[in-house]
Amino acid sequence: TMFPLLLLLLPAAHAIVELQYKPALIQTPPLEGLTTASTFVLDQPRCVFEKYGNADIWLVVALDKAASTFNNTDAPGTPETAFQGFPDRVPAYMTLNATLANYPCPKRDGDITVLRVGSETSCAQDEERPTCNGPLPGPGPYRVKFLALQGSEPVAETAWSLPITLRTAKSPSSISTTDSRHSAGMIAITTILSILFAILLAGLVAMLVFWGSDSCGGSSTFSKPESVSVRRYNTHHVYDQPAARL
Amino acid sequence: MAKSDGCVHILQGLLVFGNVVIGMCGIALTAECIYFVSNPHGLYPLLKATENNDIYAAAWIGIFVGLALFALSILGIIGVIKASRTLLLVYIILMLITFAFEMASCITAATHRDSLTPNVFLKQMLERYQKSEPANNSDKELTKTWDELMLQNHCCGVLGPSDWQEYTSAFRLTHNDADYPWPRKCCVLNAQGLPINLDGCKLGVPGYYNSNGCYDAISGPVNTHAWGVAWFGFAILCWTFCVLLGTMFYWSGIEY
Repeated sequence: TMFPLLLLLLPAAHAIVELQYKPALIQTPPLEGLTTASTFVLDQPRCVFEKYGNADIWLVVALDKAASTFNNTDAPGTPETAFQGFPDRVPAYMTLNATLANYPCPKRDGDITVLRVGSETSCAQDEERPTCNGPLPGPGPYRVKFLALQGSEPVAETAWSLPITLRTAKSPSSISTTDSRHSAGMIAITTILSILFAILLAGLVAMLVFWGSDSCGGSSTFSKPESVSVRRYNTHHVYDQPAARL
Repeated sequence: MAKSDGCVHILQGLLVFGNVVIGMCGIALTAECIYFVSNPHGLYPLLKATENNDIYAAAWIGIFVGLALFALSILGIIGVIKASRTLLLVYIILMLITFAFEMASCITAATHRDSLTPNVFLKQMLERYQKSEPANNSDKELTKTWDELMLQNHCCGVLGPSDWQEYTSAFRLTHNDADYPWPRKCCVLNAQGLPINLDGCKLGVPGYYNSNGCYDAISGPVNTHAWGVAWFGFAILCWTFCVLLGTMFYWSGIEY
């Protein structure tokens, strides 16, 4: 009776618990740097690994299309899971080693609990640091999951996350700088000033053309300060006539 | 003749008044344009880099036009009081030349203001901010101007810090994306000039970085400059138009 019981227990002992938690990008507070060209920010797995106080919790990062090829028995810190080989030689790498103490439960209000994937730039080329949390080499999409290892045995894992796509930067020469509209103010200024200038030029031409012509001087002529006095001439003729009648 | 004498005096009075106003406005225009040319907001390197600093050319023309208006208004007053045909003819012709220059200045200022869209500044910033070799003097000036702009106005980029994420840039060539999603000047800095929380700034946590763009801080002074030159010049020209028409009417009625 012991033997079948042992056989029953063995698969149970080796089965990895599939936790219902799905890793996701952090939702609150809204972060401007949630995804950049080479990093992304995950929510910490708080209150998820409560039963695994002795385990090391690792983050597994894989390209979306290679996620299914990851074997849970692959050990961290080996060339098969080294960040430096990702994605050409290594389909998925393991990084961000933590224990339950790093993820206390429950989360304190007001704390921002994040995991920034891709923040370590100093060890990105260092083969001695296979568990480096180095910047991601392309826009992805990537999928992540958490794996709890006790010793070197995997004991629990979360589900794979939804695909995470990073930002791709465009070239600045694609910015078009030639589509500027003419504002209403500029059109008004141009047209009105042109009309005024044209009227003034016409006035100047009229002035010069009719220079010296008294007939077109307007309704009244203005006398200069020294006015010319008009003298009347009387002829002898006019004064003699009344004398002749007498 | 008494009635027309009265009319003459009224017209003379109006013309003298008109010329006095032109003289004062000329001085005001000169003062305003000197203020703009003296670059009070430190934005001249940005405009020079767009190869489109005709707003400054318009302000320079405005300085000389203002002085010319002042001088010509004095000539006009003398000509009206003495009722001298020659003086007034000279006055009218010179005023028309000044009118033409001021018109050019207004239209230039208005047109080039319209061409300064956010995209122009965005492209220039991405291509030249913190450009490494080869960097000429105007690139260094531009970097310095942007640093001061971002520090003083607590802003980042043209439309926001995401400008640095959406586009590749000269900055990105020398600063990797993971350590510098955006320049350090976009972080909230303490008294020593260091970010108060570098990780918070890199993550983009509200409160540790400046999230708004600098376009408002640029377009505010540029708008004031351009519209100040354009609209004030326009107002002066409308008034000058009326005075010139009156002077032409007066001139044609003088006996010689």
